[in-house]
Amino acid sequence: MLRGKKKRICRFCENGDVFIDFRDEKRLVRFLTEQGKIVPRRTSGNCAQHQRQLARAIKRARHLALIPFVSDIPR
Amino acid sequence: MEKLYCTIFVVDISQNPEEVETVSSRIQQLIEDHGGIIKKINRWGKRRLAYPIQKKTHGYYVEIEFTANSRLNIPYTLEQEYRMNDRVLRYLTYVVDKKELIQRAKKAGEKAKVEAKAAEAKAAAEAEAKAKATEEEKKAETAPAEAPATASTEETAGKSQADNGQKATEEAAPVAETKEASAEVAEEKPSTDVKEEKEEK
Repeated sequence: MLRGKKKRICRFCENGDVFIDFRDEKRLVRFLTEQGKIVPRRTSGNCAQHQRQLARAIKRARHLALIPFVSDIPR
Repeated sequence: MEKLYCTIFVVDISQNPEEVETVSSRIQQLIEDHGGIIKKINRWGKRRLAYPIQKKTHGYYVEIEFTANSRLNIPYTLEQEYRMNDRVLRYLTYVVDKKELIQRAKKAGEKAKVEAKAAEAKAAAEAEAKAKATEEEKKAETAPAEAPATASTEETAGKSQADNGQKATEEAAPVAETKEASAEVAEEKPSTDVKEEKEEK
């Protein structure tokens, strides 16, 4: 039962990237939710390999305070 | 095994901005003393931290790349230093793997391509400018066609000497010599022939 969802292609594969650098946080932010959580594969459409690399990159960037662990949403 | 390491640390500069130098020089010294070879030092500069660390909102990022034998266990000694030093807010040391190098090479290649394109564009522009200049030169040559005759009268007509004559005429004002030249044009035919050949080229 597909709900009319489009099949997404891994953006990193499209780009031909071999390695995801944790230094360019602007790129990583696109794969975070507003709260700062890592976007799951089913929504981002990344392939398994790149999702793993991305997760590592995000965690390294978080450790160096390049991107936040949590960003609060004012209610 | 020889490995390429990368270490990044964040220095607290809220108290004293010169701390960056002391800390980074200490780290460099540690690496070199233990047998590592520093390849690259990259200062990212002062940046805003994504979240406060020890109530600090800004930090100075320094990245050092070095190669070392994995038996020397430099990351461990670095960690000891980082832990002891309370000016270091955060640190990260990791082994640079092949994929990252490939990605970097790729980026560099793309950059090089862009630069090459820019260079090509520049070269084309220069070539155009040169072509224009040569056209202008030709025009200049055709206008005072009689001018080189004066030079050839002094010396027998040869190609190299004709060149000299041309240069001389370009430098000197051709207007002054036209009076003399016009009288001698009829006598000095071979020199003008040389001229015409040059123009064809």
